Formats: sequence, structure tokens, C-alpha cells
Amino acid sequence: MEKMKLLLVDDETRYLETTGKLIERKGHDVWTAPSGEKALEILAAHNIHVVVLDVKMPGMDGNETLKHIKALHPLTEVIMLTGHATVDSAIDGLKSGAWDYLMKPADIEEIIEKAELAFQKRMNQEEKIRSAQAKQYLKSPREILKQGNE
Amino acid sequence: MIPFIIALGISFYFFSSALDKSTQASLERILTDHRKMIESFLLERKSDLELITRVYAFEEIMADEAVTAICQSLQKRSPAFVDLGIFDETGNHLKYSGSFALTGKSYTREPWFRKTMVRGFYISDIFLGYRNIPHFVVAVRKTENSRTWVLRATIDTVFFDSMVSGVRIGKTGEAYILNHQGVAQTARRSGDIALLDKDPAFGWMAKQFSANRQTFQLSPKGQPFLYAVSKLANKSWYLVVRQEKQDAYKALYSAVLICVVIAVLGLAALVVPAYFTSETICRRMDRLDEEKDALGSQLIRAVQLAEIGEMAAGFAHEINNPLQIIKSEYALIKILMEELYPGKAGKDNAPDPRTLNDIRESVEQVHKQVERCHEITSAILKFGRKKEVRHTTLDPGTVIPEILKLVENSARTSGVKITTRIEEKIPSFMGDPGRFQQVMLNLVNNAIHAVTSRHGANGGKIEISAARTRDKEGRTMVDIQVKDNGCGIAPEHMDRIFSPFFTTKAVGRGTGLGLSVCFGIIESFGGTMSVESRPGQGTVFSIQLAAHENQPSLRRTTEWKK
Repeated sequence: MEKMKLLLVDDETRYLETTGKLIERKGHDVWTAPSGEKALEILAAHNIHVVVLDVKMPGMDGNETLKHIKALHPLTEVIMLTGHATVDSAIDGLKSGAWDYLMKPADIEEIIEKAELAFQKRMNQEEKIRSAQAKQYLKSPREILKQGNE
Repeated sequence: MIPFIIALGISFYFFSSALDKSTQASLERILTDHRKMIESFLLERKSDLELITRVYAFEEIMADEAVTAICQSLQKRSPAFVDLGIFDETGNHLKYSGSFALTGKSYTREPWFRKTMVRGFYISDIFLGYRNIPHFVVAVRKTENSRTWVLRATIDTVFFDSMVSGVRIGKTGEAYILNHQGVAQTARRSGDIALLDKDPAFGWMAKQFSANRQTFQLSPKGQPFLYAVSKLANKSWYLVVRQEKQDAYKALYSAVLICVVIAVLGLAALVVPAYFTSETICRRMDRLDEEKDALGSQLIRAVQLAEIGEMAAGFAHEINNPLQIIKSEYALIKILMEELYPGKAGKDNAPDPRTLNDIRESVEQVHKQVERCHEITSAILKFGRKKEVRHTTLDPGTVIPEILKLVENSARTSGVKITTRIEEKIPSFMGDPGRFQQVMLNLVNNAIHAVTSRHGANGGKIEISAARTRDKEGRTMVDIQVKDNGCGIAPEHMDRIFSPFFTTKAVGRGTGLGLSVCFGIIESFGGTMSVESRPGQGTVFSIQLAAHENQPSLRRTTEWKK
């Protein structure tokens, strides 16, 4: 089974460091980004499965970053991390296509649990896409050639 | 008030001046009438005598009984004639007809005789003369054929007197005659000046008179009189008409009295209702002030709460970030610890297990304290949030029992008996269901806490009631009460009970935000929350919410649709 590739986005670098280490220990691949812009760069370079995104950040904030991610990488699942106890900002995120949200301070176990669920979903999604494509190839093998031509 | 006084003053002024004028005019009219009467009387007497001197020659008049006959005919003509006498040019009394024995007496030195001889005609002042009785004479000189004689008639002073003193005006009005020296020629009706007395006020009178004033005021003997004086024609006599001022202005004084009475009554009619109205206005204003003060302090408290909430929210939000880091660090430390010392003693390099335990404990403490901070910050954020709430109509009859189901278990285990008393047909109110639930749970949990701390696991009672009431303006209100028989609230805590961060619970057991959040929620519903408590007896939290008026009809239609 594929390893989960996870991207942590937060403006607190120490948090990125520690949390990154913890998640790595659980056997996942972790990238970190201190800003929304940096996160988009990493997303473009790597096939990231799950993003854990802080809502409140200087520059491009969480919700804005989320919109960009969803526009560019619709299959990538995003978990919002909000400092507000209110669900307001989280609701905004969910409306924009976030998978779930977490309240700060969140336990590392919680984060990993949610991320794994999101990863599972992503995998299921990809699986569905693959099987759909496979069916298509079975029906008309020329499709492979077509795809190769493209 | 002022227009009233002005109107009264003006009417009084015109009335009094009109009365003043009319009083003076009547006095002057009487004066003129009487002057004319007296003048004509004197003129008539003079012409009587002149007629006689023209008709009779000296010889004829010196004839026996001629004087007596003439005298009688004169007396017939005017009863004023007392006697008649004839004098020669040296003043010897030649003939006399009358009741005094005056024949033969010499009048050469008498002033009236000398003046008659000079002027040809003379009316004397009143004097005593030979007869020693006050009288005055009218004398006419006649010159014929180088013989001069004088005809003299005496006028009855009583008659003359009655003519003048017959004047009556009001009670004290009177008329009298003074000569040029101020000696009374007729007695005064009031009797204080007899015939031939000198009027003490004459000096004054003459001064006023010389200033061409016919009427004036004088106050002899301190009593003000209204005087009218006129000089008689051809004679140095003054006719005086006078009346006591008080008498003359009797009508005026009664007018003054009426004015004063009207003024007093009018003022009373103005002042008394004004007093009462102003008093009621004052009272109303006082009450408004009190209400305003109450409202003001309520508003200030609301603003303070909002400010504290906002500040605390920002603060809490910022605290959450470091907490998140601490939490991560804790997780990392824990894992690293487990890796280094998997908890199995016996390895050589293993440290003292007690030290290890201490480290573990304190790491656990870090986790615990972070959790505690987290609780506080999330409570603060709940308190401070300015989220738009979705208001819907809430029916206390269904909402409250639903909420109470949530606490049923914990109440039962604490041995607390919860009773509900919800009026039938209780009106609904507007509010956010979730937040209302938060308020009720908070109040009930507080109540459970209070009763268990007093009664332990037995005897705790909580009563939740909802009733329809009316507020001061008569609007229908829903009154929800949570009543307990718990430990109560100390009086010194009462005014801080809704303040944020105020708590009587042990450190770490409460954030002190519960009731202030409830207070804020109820205020956001447009309601009020209050508390009454007696230490050792119990506490009542009351929530007043405006009833949602259209609700019953709405419910009926929805039911019908079903």
C-alpha cells in the first residue's frame, strides 16, 4: 500500500518541526510549509494526498490557500486547523471543500487519525478512477493507444 | 401667571382712573352748581336792594312805616332777609325795621359802611356787629340830589347756611364757604368748624388754588380728603366742597377688593394645579431618571461584557497557538521517553526508576495543564464570539423538557429531584435553540452543584417553571425560573455573579464564565436575566423573554397543514 504523503501548513515553524517528526514516526511522508504560497509550490512538485492547513496565517490565509488547492488539485484532501472555538471559520472551510476541521490545540493522535481517514478517502477515490479506467480499457483497448497519443 | 397679573393690573388701572375722573367730575359739578346758586342768590339780594333804591326816593323811604312795609315785602320775596335799615352818609342809622333796637346807632367806623360808601355796593363777611349775633349784610349806596344814603339788609345766616350746607355727597361730602382769610362763613356739616372759625387747612388750599387747580387732595388731621374749591364771583369768598377720600372712592375700594379677591383666587387657581402638575411631572422625571440610570448601568455592563469578551477572544486565540506547540512537544517527548526507557527496569544504563517516574509525572502535568488552558480558552472563545445566531420560535413547553432529559441522569445520581411546572398555553419566544440549551444546562448544573453542596445526596430540590407575565409596558412576557433549595449566594457576591471570570469554585474547577455567557445569550435574545438568593435557603434565576406574539396563530396553521 502506498505511503501517505502529508503536507503541514502553519506559520509556526517549531510546530511544523515537531509535528512533522511525530507524523513521520507513524510511518507517513511529511512535507511542511510555513505559508500558503510555499504550500502551493510543494503541492505542484509532489503528489500530496492530505494537507493539514492552519486557518490563521500571515499573507495568504488558510481559506484562500484552500481555494487554490481545491482549484489546482481537486483530489487532495484538506483538514483545516482553527484556533477559533467557533465553527464559523471551519464552516467556511468545509463549504470551500475541506475534508474536515480540527480545533487548536489538537492532539497529535487526532490529527493523524483524521489525516488517515482523509487518505483512505483519497485512496478510494483513486481506486475508483483506476477501476473505471480499467473497465474502459477492457471495453476498447484502443483507448490505451488514444491516451498514449495524447 | 404674568399675563394674568398684567390683565388684572391694566383693568384695575383703567377702572380706577375712570372712577377717579368721575369722582372728581362729580365733585366739580357740585361745586359749580352751588357756586352758581350762591352767586345768583347774592346777586338777587343785591338787585332787590337796588330796585328799592331806584323805586323809592329818600323822602318816601323816610316816611313812617315805609321801611317796615318794604321789609315785609322783601321778606315775602326771600325769607333770607332778616331786617332792613337806612343810613345817612355819615353812618347814622336813620330807620330800621327788624327785631333789634339798632335805630340811632352810628356805623361810621364799621368796615362794611366804609366799603359801601366807597364801592356803592357791598356784601360783608359774616360778623357779630352791635347785635352780637353772626350775620352778614348786603348794602347799597344811593346818591340823589347831592344826598347820599345807604340801604342795608341783613341776611339770615341760618338760611344762608342751610343753602350751602344742604350739599350732601355720600357720607362725608360737605360744602362750606370761607372768606379770603379762611374764616368760615358757613358752618361745616361735620361740625368740626363752626361759623367764624378759621379753617386750618386754608393755607394749603390757597396754595393749591393759586396753582389753578380746582380739585386736589389734602390730608388735614391725617385723614385724606378730596377738595374742590372755587372763588365766588365779585366776592372774596371761597366755596369749598370736600369729601373724605375713603368715602369718595368707596366704589374704587370695593373694586380694589374685588380685584384682590380675583387675583388671589386666580393665582390660587393657577398655582395649585401648577403645583400638582409640576409635582407629578417631577415624580415622572425622577422615575424616568431612575429607569435611565438602571438602563445606563445595564448598557455599560453589556458594553463592558462585550469588550471583555472581544479582548478575551483575541487573547484566547493567540494562546491557542503556543498551546498547540506545547501539545506537539509533549507528544514528542512522550514518544522519545518511551523509546529511551521503555519502562522496563533492569537495564544497566537505566536511570533510577523514581526519577523516571517523576519526569513522567511532570510531563503528564504539562499535558494536564495544557488541557486546562485549552478548556479556559475555548470557554472564553464561546463567551466572546459574535456569531450571528439563528433565531427561531421556541416553545418552552417542548424545549425545556427536552433539555432536562440531558441532565436527568446526572441529577438522579446526585439524588436531586427536578420538578417542572410549565403553564399550559405558554407563549413562545424567539431564540437560538442551541444557545438556549446552553443557558438552561448551565443554570441546572449550577443548581445541582448548589443543592448537593448543601444537602448531599438527599433532599436536593430543583424546580423549573415557565409562566406568562406582563412587563411594565403591558407586553406579554415569558418568565422562566430555575429555583433551587441549595446553599444560596453570599450577598457580597450578588453584584458580581454575572461578571466574567468570577467564580467561587476551587482553582481549576471553573472558569467563571458560565453565568456571564448565559447573561450574554439571554441579552442577545432581547431578554433579561436576574437572580435572587438567600444564603442557606436557595437561589432563583429568572429569565424574562418577550413573547412572540404571532406564534399561536402560526402554530395553528401549521398543525392544520399537517
